[in-house]
Amino acid sequence: MWNALRAELLYFRPWMLGGLGIATGVAALLVGLTWFENGAERIPTFLSGMFPAIAGMVVSFIALGMRSEERRARLLLAAPLTPRQLAGVMVLLPICLVTAGYLAGVLLLGLTALVKGEIDLRELPILARITGQFFIYALMAPLVQEAVAARRQGRGRAAFAGWASLVVALPTLTSFYWLDGPMMNAGAHLLVGTIMMVSILMLYQGRTDFTR
Amino acid sequence: MNGQEPNANPAARLNGLTKRFPGFQLGPIDLVLEPGTVLALVGPNGAGKTTTLNCIAGLTLPDAGGCEVFGVEVHPARPKYRLDVGYVGEENGFFQGWSAARNLEFVGSLMPGWSSDRARRLAERFALPMDKPVKALSRGNRTKLALVAALGHGPRLLLLDEPTSGLDPIVRAEVLDVLWEITEDGEHAVLYSTHVLSDINRLADELAFLRDGHVVLRTGRDELSESWRRISFRLQDDECDLEGVVEHRRVRAEHQVITRDASVTERQLAELGAEAVEVSRMSVDEIAVQILKEGHDVERTAS
Repeated sequence: MWNALRAELLYFRPWMLGGLGIATGVAALLVGLTWFENGAERIPTFLSGMFPAIAGMVVSFIALGMRSEERRARLLLAAPLTPRQLAGVMVLLPICLVTAGYLAGVLLLGLTALVKGEIDLRELPILARITGQFFIYALMAPLVQEAVAARRQGRGRAAFAGWASLVVALPTLTSFYWLDGPMMNAGAHLLVGTIMMVSILMLYQGRTDFTR
Repeated sequence: MNGQEPNANPAARLNGLTKRFPGFQLGPIDLVLEPGTVLALVGPNGAGKTTTLNCIAGLTLPDAGGCEVFGVEVHPARPKYRLDVGYVGEENGFFQGWSAARNLEFVGSLMPGWSSDRARRLAERFALPMDKPVKALSRGNRTKLALVAALGHGPRLLLLDEPTSGLDPIVRAEVLDVLWEITEDGEHAVLYSTHVLSDINRLADELAFLRDGHVVLRTGRDELSESWRRISFRLQDDECDLEGVVEHRRVRAEHQVITRDASVTERQLAELGAEAVEVSRMSVDEIAVQILKEGHDVERTAS
């Protein structure tokens, strides 16, 4: 499974680097223009950290779409991998890409703070909270895919469970805005993310057809 | 393998394999494929060939019955049987942006028993352009890559879904040559689906005809060629009921029949006093078309 995940990450590395390059360029432009127009103290540090995190999420959508289009499961199913391991690759790939975006975001946020000459540590948990939401958005794509596959394969209860976990995740995500404290917030995101990951793993393992 | 003792662990065994889709049911199919055999699954589009192969490969779970590969139950959750299986389908899931070489390297990293030497030799034999990205390869080259990827770990059972479809005659001949060589040692088995009937003569020892999800006939290629005949004759009586006949036409005084049991039909014609009897052989292609035609009463055989 780890070989497969590593290969996927290598395959999508040019996309990730490209996405991060664009995000860095946009952030640099924003910082430069703001500095030129309003001076260093008005530079939006937080925004520059958010662009790479967004890039991570967008690339994870691209990666899942391309994997599906290239029918990667067909290649992996030639090897002695179990459905659980295949589902593991499907879940871990977007998580790795969003994490890479987050780490790049933290780095860029730090660099921007250095340029600005003012470090505001309160921005880090806000970036983490938003990245937590991106994790969940990134997991929605495979969850929808598996719920649709379950419906197509006549596994009505599994399809219902898939859609139900998605429907529950959305309002729960919205309610997080009212949760105080970064730990509380991170824990709540982790909970929803875990429920979605487990749902994807179970739905994939219950498949009766792996060809699509 | 006809006439040989059945193997305790055949290359593939299908036990009442059944898969239901809205408006279509595959099976129940009972089929045994012995090592050293090349079995062609012949049937029109939608007959269930690909679903049968997908079930044996463990890509599709049957609703009832099951499959075994060399005595090991096929189940996606227990994928060890895949070490003995090489599968070439229409879609093979390669990384389109990577070269053939890099894809093979990746497949090798996943497959215990992978031989880079074997893969390289096959790739050279096929003149596969190893440095080109998969998305830039022609259909023929993609099929070759899929074959190399399927054969690199030395599987004893090869499942091929329309392997020569869309290939030019030269590439098709190359592919068929390699497949023929693989089965020469008597340990490997090949199950392939096709509607390119000319391939049958080249490769298959046995044929299983699929129609509407059922195996309507399983027979040896040579037996098929020996038993089917086109016979024309003249007879005093307008009406005649001949055994084994699957098609009967009348052109003025002449009768033209196609029979699946030439010896029986010829004997009956002699008894009826038929005149101007002319018997001609039929190609496997012609016979296959007759077998697969709707409405023909062809014996349904479990093998």
